[in-house]
Amino acid sequence: MTQILQKPPANGRLVRREASATPERAAVRRRRRRVIEIVLGFGAPVLLFVVWQVAATSGAVNPLFFPPPTEVWKAALELVESGELFEHLWASLTRVLIGCAMGVVTGVAAGIALGASRWVRATLEPLLSALYTVPKLAIFPLLLLIFGLTDTALNVAIGMTVFFFMWVSTMAAFLAVSPGHREVAQSFQAGPWLTFRHVLFPAALPQMFIGLRMSVSVAVLMMVGVEFTQANKGIGYLIWYSWTLFQAPRMYVGIVAVALMGLLLSNAVKWVSLLVLPWARVEIEGGDRNLL
Amino acid sequence: MDTQTRQATAAPPTAPAGAKLLASGVERQFISGKSRVHALGPFDLRVADGEFVCLVGPSGCGKSTFLRIVNGLLPPTAGTLDLWLDEGRADTSMVFQDYGVLPWKTVLANVRFGLEMAKVPRREANERAMEWIRRIGLSGFEKAYPATLSGGMRQRVSIARALAVQPQILLMDEPFAAVDAQMRVVLQEVLLKVWEEDRRTVIFVTHSLEEALVLGDRVVVVSARPGRVVSDITVPFGRPRASDVRRTPEFAELHQNVWDVLRDEVQASLAAGTEAS
Repeated sequence: MTQILQKPPANGRLVRREASATPERAAVRRRRRRVIEIVLGFGAPVLLFVVWQVAATSGAVNPLFFPPPTEVWKAALELVESGELFEHLWASLTRVLIGCAMGVVTGVAAGIALGASRWVRATLEPLLSALYTVPKLAIFPLLLLIFGLTDTALNVAIGMTVFFFMWVSTMAAFLAVSPGHREVAQSFQAGPWLTFRHVLFPAALPQMFIGLRMSVSVAVLMMVGVEFTQANKGIGYLIWYSWTLFQAPRMYVGIVAVALMGLLLSNAVKWVSLLVLPWARVEIEGGDRNLL
Repeated sequence: MDTQTRQATAAPPTAPAGAKLLASGVERQFISGKSRVHALGPFDLRVADGEFVCLVGPSGCGKSTFLRIVNGLLPPTAGTLDLWLDEGRADTSMVFQDYGVLPWKTVLANVRFGLEMAKVPRREANERAMEWIRRIGLSGFEKAYPATLSGGMRQRVSIARALAVQPQILLMDEPFAAVDAQMRVVLQEVLLKVWEEDRRTVIFVTHSLEEALVLGDRVVVVSARPGRVVSDITVPFGRPRASDVRRTPEFAELHQNVWDVLRDEVQASLAAGTEAS
């Protein structure tokens, strides 16, 4: 810690740097900070609910549109008891996971192809970039025409959204591999497959995982969108259907469920990435720096 | 031969006449998870105003950690470090090992960086930056981006940036470690010439004993981790000094004597390395 202690005789000052705490104290302080961070993280939503509760019961906001959290909780319990909520959650989760799987496989494949080959990139990048900007909901009616009123149409719509996210992040990751790392492979006369397996793919993985984290979020977003228009099960359907029946508390149950699903999926990807990529988690003096 | 081994005794807290820096029992430990690394100290050092002090020691002996503590980037975990500073001038500035040159800024903008942070008016900042670019021998490259420069030129940018703020204590962390041997000699000469002009206080960390003896008024040999002062040598060569001092027989003899001390420390750190792995 730096502090100015006293005025030395000359027209100057004495700056003293000394220990702010022993290492043990510093470690205790770090742990305490971690606890405070967790409390804050949970505290913010709790505070929101409290404010909301007070506002709704005092009549500051219209409880028809903003039912107090206690009402929402009651609706949630009913939905859990009847088994409806799990049915909806399961339907939505399946769609998100199937959609993600389709999008990730095709998107990564496209990303690798475009990232590895100049010719493929020249041929397909303009086309894919143009399609990227088309809102996938705008093509959803077309998918319904092709696949009929089936789950496949919904899965494909989610998959298409994920595809573009994974394509862009994978391609960018491959193009960003440092020339120095490529040359290591070249100098050892590694063939294309070995170069890919030992250098390009591992180097690209951290950025691909960041793409995957964004992908699961947009997959949830897309899931809600398509379920609004075409489904008889799922969280999106629950929200939409509750709206038409003017059951605001059930609507909020759906909204909270979607938020939690997105949070869990996104964190799951983060944890997996930390597990799979120990090297991308670099410890530096006094703290962690992370590529992820 | 003026070689003496200093004992790790606590120094008095009052300012000795002409002292710029006084480290007393400075220590640094790093804790990550359950492991604890004692990187430095107890480390005692006194640096006089205007003195050029070189720290040499094996890799990982905590030399850089000491510089970071002086710079205020890192607090010590024990001991005190006192700096006697004048008003109205930048306290310390650091030349980083990996240059720390910002790739998105031109040479001029990089050199001007510290001045901008100190809120020097734009016009004056530009003039001072240009002056330092000239002194360090980079005229004509003001508008170039660092990626287009050689390693030696980039390191000059870093030195000019540190000097442009007129620091009272210039900290240099193995500044020439990444440039080739010939460029090293050239940069040492540039540094000696620039330093002669105002003889500010410099603490220079290096692996190279030769470099330390060419540049410094004093050479402080630091032990293997945790770093302590093993030996504190006053370099007998006069000023102004040119880098061809290294070709004199006196230099060779001094180099040999100090190397005997340093070699033991390097071997100690090697042994520690094999134990750890």
